[in-house]
Amino acid sequence: MTYVARRVAYLVPTWLGITLLAFVMAQFAPGDPAATLFAREHGRPGSTAEVERTRQQLGLDDPAPQRYVRSVADAVQGDLGTSYTSGRPVMTELLSRFPATLELALAGTLLAVLLGLPLGVLAALRRNTLVDHLTRGGSLIAASMPSFWVAYLLIILFSIKLHLLPSFGAGGLDHLILPALALALGEAGLVARLARASMLEVLGQDYMTTARAKGLPEWRTIGVHALRNAIAPVVTQVGLVFGYLLAYSAIVEVVFIWPGISRLAVEAISQRDYPVIQGFVIFAGTCYILVNLVVDLIYQRLDPRIDLTTAARPALS
Amino acid sequence: MRDRDVLEDVLALGDTALTRRQLVGRMGLGFGALSAAGFLAACGDEKKSTGQAKQGGTVTIGAEEDAYVLSGDGANVGQYPLNANIFEGLVRMDPNYGIVPALATSWSVRGDTWRFVLRRGVKMHNGQPFDAKSVVYSFDRIAEQGGGTPGFKKGGTKIVDPYTVDVTPSFPNLRLVEQIVHPENYIVAAGTDPVKQPTGTGPFRYGSYERQQQLVVNRHAGYWGTPARLDRIIFKFLPDNNARRLALEAGDVALILGVPSEGAANLEQKGFAVYVSPAGAYEAMYQNIGGKKGHTLLQDSDVRHAIEYAIDRDALVSGVFNGQAIAEQTMVPARLLADHASKVTGYTYDQAKAKQLLDTAGWTAGGDGTRTKGGKPLELELVSGFPSAAVHTGVPEFVQDQLKRVGIAVKIVKTADSAAYTARTKSLEGDLWLERGNQNDANPSFLPALLFSKKGLFGPGDYQTMFSPGGAFEPLINKALSAPDEEQVKQLVADGMHTLIDVEAIVVPLAGVPQIAASSDKLTGFVPQPSTLQVRYDRLALSA
Repeated sequence: MTYVARRVAYLVPTWLGITLLAFVMAQFAPGDPAATLFAREHGRPGSTAEVERTRQQLGLDDPAPQRYVRSVADAVQGDLGTSYTSGRPVMTELLSRFPATLELALAGTLLAVLLGLPLGVLAALRRNTLVDHLTRGGSLIAASMPSFWVAYLLIILFSIKLHLLPSFGAGGLDHLILPALALALGEAGLVARLARASMLEVLGQDYMTTARAKGLPEWRTIGVHALRNAIAPVVTQVGLVFGYLLAYSAIVEVVFIWPGISRLAVEAISQRDYPVIQGFVIFAGTCYILVNLVVDLIYQRLDPRIDLTTAARPALS
Repeated sequence: MRDRDVLEDVLALGDTALTRRQLVGRMGLGFGALSAAGFLAACGDEKKSTGQAKQGGTVTIGAEEDAYVLSGDGANVGQYPLNANIFEGLVRMDPNYGIVPALATSWSVRGDTWRFVLRRGVKMHNGQPFDAKSVVYSFDRIAEQGGGTPGFKKGGTKIVDPYTVDVTPSFPNLRLVEQIVHPENYIVAAGTDPVKQPTGTGPFRYGSYERQQQLVVNRHAGYWGTPARLDRIIFKFLPDNNARRLALEAGDVALILGVPSEGAANLEQKGFAVYVSPAGAYEAMYQNIGGKKGHTLLQDSDVRHAIEYAIDRDALVSGVFNGQAIAEQTMVPARLLADHASKVTGYTYDQAKAKQLLDTAGWTAGGDGTRTKGGKPLELELVSGFPSAAVHTGVPEFVQDQLKRVGIAVKIVKTADSAAYTARTKSLEGDLWLERGNQNDANPSFLPALLFSKKGLFGPGDYQTMFSPGGAFEPLINKALSAPDEEQVKQLVADGMHTLIDVEAIVVPLAGVPQIAASSDKLTGFVPQPSTLQVRYDRLALSA
């Protein structure tokens, strides 16, 4: 079996695990969806009989295993159920929101790379200088700051003090900058730290000494020999960042009322809209494992030393 | 019956802006006792907006979470919980919880049947005339989903003539006219789908809606009353309190709703107009006397009364609510009970008396400060989370500290939202239950009956198991539900609250809580209401 086929085969149990996790999490979440929906629709708590009637209407009176099997069978066919609150198919809801999430995740990832990679490389090349110390300290702070706090700081600076950018909403590049930056800063810190560590490891290799001894210009030594070899673990990290931002940008989406899937999920949680919660977990989880698959395949392209014929997961030789 | 002039007077309030400082000052003078006329006059004295109002323009408002229902007969875009003034009811509620005419000009009740005489010459937004058919369609739609609080039943609303309807609910309901001020009972155009095209009679017509993003409404030029001043309002759903406030500061919205008490002073310092309504909500704890699941400590009346005396409500209002609340002890807003509110005496902060009550009950001080009796510590579980733990920020810890001083240990359990809180009530696990309730209709008996009567309003449930005192309270609240006279209802409910609070000490009223909003100086005409559901946006205008 080829590596690609094996990796794709591994997706099946992983995906089933995600569906099971999503279902179990929804079952154990505190709160009765039937009672919540009734109260929301009527502006008052329902009596026991009214709540039970709502439960039957939602199909929640069937045994849990039966509901799980039904939900997996439907999900395989792209049917993630119907939202309790909107009455629309969950897949339709998610797909209508996904472009916004994708846009934000791409912008956040791009910014994280543009900020983190040069800083990490620079810090490695200027090891133990002020630049290195500032980069390491700054990246640690950036990675430690909660994204909602970063979001508030950015709004205060760029929207309130400087009046340069809108404080919320979606619609153009000006609306994209702040939420993307709020997501990117923490991830840029991680990218910078990894790029620095990876570069330091490469810079200590014998082939770098050989390259210099051959009289290659420094830019070529760094740009071609060092960076190319150091980039593979960074790419993995960037892939994870992208997958993470696709699935977990909830706080930033709420603060900036960005119309993405994470915001949809947050609202669904507060309303106990189980089909949407489960659908989001399955959808986001699927995106995440697909991104990982793509990263793994790119990995080998970047570093041909990786043996894909036997290893379950590629590793640097 | 009241006439149309009263409604016009209420609407005209929009020309004035009542700021937080001015209103708090009035509260100190006994705001709860002001009559409707007094309130109107008081508002008339307030400073005018900084600029002249101009006609037209678009305003963006930062609203709270989008909680509209989009499917089925319960669909309520533009109605509830954000009333965007697309729809109107047969009647509406003034700031003193009085009923004033809206789409009905008069009403009366005979036996179990209410008769409404409808306003003539009113057109729905789609050009269809507003008449008895509109009312039948709207109330039947509610009947399809269970009848709502008023108990509408299919076929219970009958056309007498094109401008007269008779409404017979599924149970004898003499509180119906006080209940239909709630936007869930507003009138929708016959035959229309409220999801696709919300169509009412209000001063604004539906423009567009993007779920969890925004609702746009446009001025309805053919409005039967005074047309709105603004051409368009964009309601942006900003569920995060800080994001909402920052959007106002950035100038991206002109008005924000749902300002937390801790943010009001800061906004005022920055030059924003802060509007504080009279108290329309309450912060209170309910003491579990049901004795289920081992939670038996509060079955002791002395312990319950000790808790009432042990809490310094003035300190709570100034320290936790930053002065943006009133230390009133009626639970149901005092202004709703009018003069009868004085029947509820409440408690004066007296920790010595609290300790004395606990001593009398046999609870002796232990080594770690917590009292014990027969080796059992006086430890209570306080559950906080309705409608969310966030709205009670600081209150559970304040109560914990106050009760610790008299030897009662409190363990705080916070549930994230109302769904988790409701699940907790089903488990009956807890001694003290902290809630923020809103009075959203003009029926004083609704909340006491819903929460504390033995049979409940919609059948017995967990609240009845934990909090119903029975005894003297039960006949009072039952009589209040069926009394024909408004004044008598208020008197009966006040007597009931006296029983719940002063006699049985089941309710621990902590504060009356106002609704707070804030705007930039570019906006004029906002009038806060005790119930946010009654806020009118038709008098809003941009400053010239």
